[in-house]
Amino acid sequence: MNPAESILTRRRFLVGTARAAGLLAAGGSTVSWLRAASPGRDANPFALDVERLQHTDPKLIHYEQVARFQGCAPDPRRIAVGPDDRVYIAAANAVTILDCNGRLISEIACAAPVRCVAVAAEGTVYVGVKDHVETFDRTGQRLATWPSSGRRTWLTGLAAGEKDVFAADSGNRCVLRYDKAGKLLGRIAERNKDRHLPGLVVPSPYLDVKLAPDGLLRVNNTGRHRVEAYTVDGDLEFFWGRPSAGIEGFCGCCNPVGLALLPDGRHVTCEKGLPRVKVYSPKGVFESVVAGTETFYENAKTGALKTRSDGLVGGLDAAVDSQQRIYILDLVANDVRIMQRKA
Amino acid sequence: MNPGISKPSSVTRRQFLRDGARAAGLAGLGGLLGLVAERSTAKGTVWQIDPQKCVRCGNCALYCVLEQSAVKCVHAYALCGYCQLCTGYFEPDPNDLNTGAENCLCPTSAIKRTYIEDPYYEYTIDEQLCIGCAKCVEGCHRFGNGSLFLQVRHDRCLNCNECAIAKVCAGDAFRRVPADQPYLLKTDTF
Repeated sequence: MNPAESILTRRRFLVGTARAAGLLAAGGSTVSWLRAASPGRDANPFALDVERLQHTDPKLIHYEQVARFQGCAPDPRRIAVGPDDRVYIAAANAVTILDCNGRLISEIACAAPVRCVAVAAEGTVYVGVKDHVETFDRTGQRLATWPSSGRRTWLTGLAAGEKDVFAADSGNRCVLRYDKAGKLLGRIAERNKDRHLPGLVVPSPYLDVKLAPDGLLRVNNTGRHRVEAYTVDGDLEFFWGRPSAGIEGFCGCCNPVGLALLPDGRHVTCEKGLPRVKVYSPKGVFESVVAGTETFYENAKTGALKTRSDGLVGGLDAAVDSQQRIYILDLVANDVRIMQRKA
Repeated sequence: MNPGISKPSSVTRRQFLRDGARAAGLAGLGGLLGLVAERSTAKGTVWQIDPQKCVRCGNCALYCVLEQSAVKCVHAYALCGYCQLCTGYFEPDPNDLNTGAENCLCPTSAIKRTYIEDPYYEYTIDEQLCIGCAKCVEGCHRFGNGSLFLQVRHDRCLNCNECAIAKVCAGDAFRRVPADQPYLLKTDTF
């Protein structure tokens, strides 16, 4: 080697340094690009994918939204439509009474959280307040407070008939039958081998009851994913429903969480987890979707990944007015949607 | 030896050293026991997951310094519905409600399903298999009562000063708790 070549001149030093800096910069850029292209910390290889179940085939949706209004009180639980098409919402410690446009008409205040409400044909309002029923006239004046039926009673659904009132008791997994004076006449749907009654399975407090035009009660046996029909004396007549996240079945651990009935006996069912409202024939054959999961954006997020609330606080409820329009109460968004069958 | 004469007791060097070594050993043992006793009653802290803050991001399975994460799924039986269709056990839309692998959610088959009576089933976690991925927790949380949740198991946690999972926890759910009360159970927080 020529000794002159081994001498590090200022020029050679600067050229070498520039080359090294260029190589370092190129390497750094490559690493940054690779890091950006690879899955980041947000990518969860164990994510539970339910997105495919949240889309509803548009051909199955036979209803359209014609109105929507906000609830007037927090923590809504159940909705009912009275004979005058007024809307009754059990929420917080009261029943709020609205017209069909969502304007507040009046409010019935109670001393404890109201869990359910039903309105009889003559206008009497029955309110489920945790473990007992309170009755009010159509002006909101208190008529009576019925005694509690037991320590574990947790009322979550009510239905008022011509002679009787039926209260769904999630705590004791049965339906309580009262006369109009508040006398307890019987307990329906309790497990009884002699009567071939399998009993209700209620993993979460969403037991509901409705009185159908055929004179039979409809009760949601949520843990078995089915709707059961009982006589008012407690005989099980028939049942239908099956567990499935598919549109024809009931999803999750416990559904349907709410029931309503159309005048011809068809069933309206409400689900949580995958919040959706569907219509089934009187015999339980799936007919159509009133509103799919994509309709209830806030509700569908309940319990979902990266949220802290769990499925216990979600859910929907429904009621039907005289024009067969379906009112859907969203327990998370605290609003009411009025759905009308498409022409 | 004349028994009538009492000879003054003398300690040999060998005896002195032997007794000294014994005394030192005993003192050392006493000190060690005292230290252990003091440490066992000391109010230290350990890492734990607040189940109310956990967002089930999957990082517990990925970032623990142990080969298999010290975070495991635990079960609050008091909250469980003992459901036939457990959404923590089954895929969202299973073919059938049986223990076939194609129907099960857990990637390591760490949940055991035991029939109790119609229609109730009990679900137990095999901690040897559980990797703390929270897939079952998400299923239970989303569709059920939320009785499955994650906890750091202190029979295997190394209690690192800087927990590798806590650094990346998406819900900021990791916190230090007293070592004598190392678990945050859901029954306590509901």
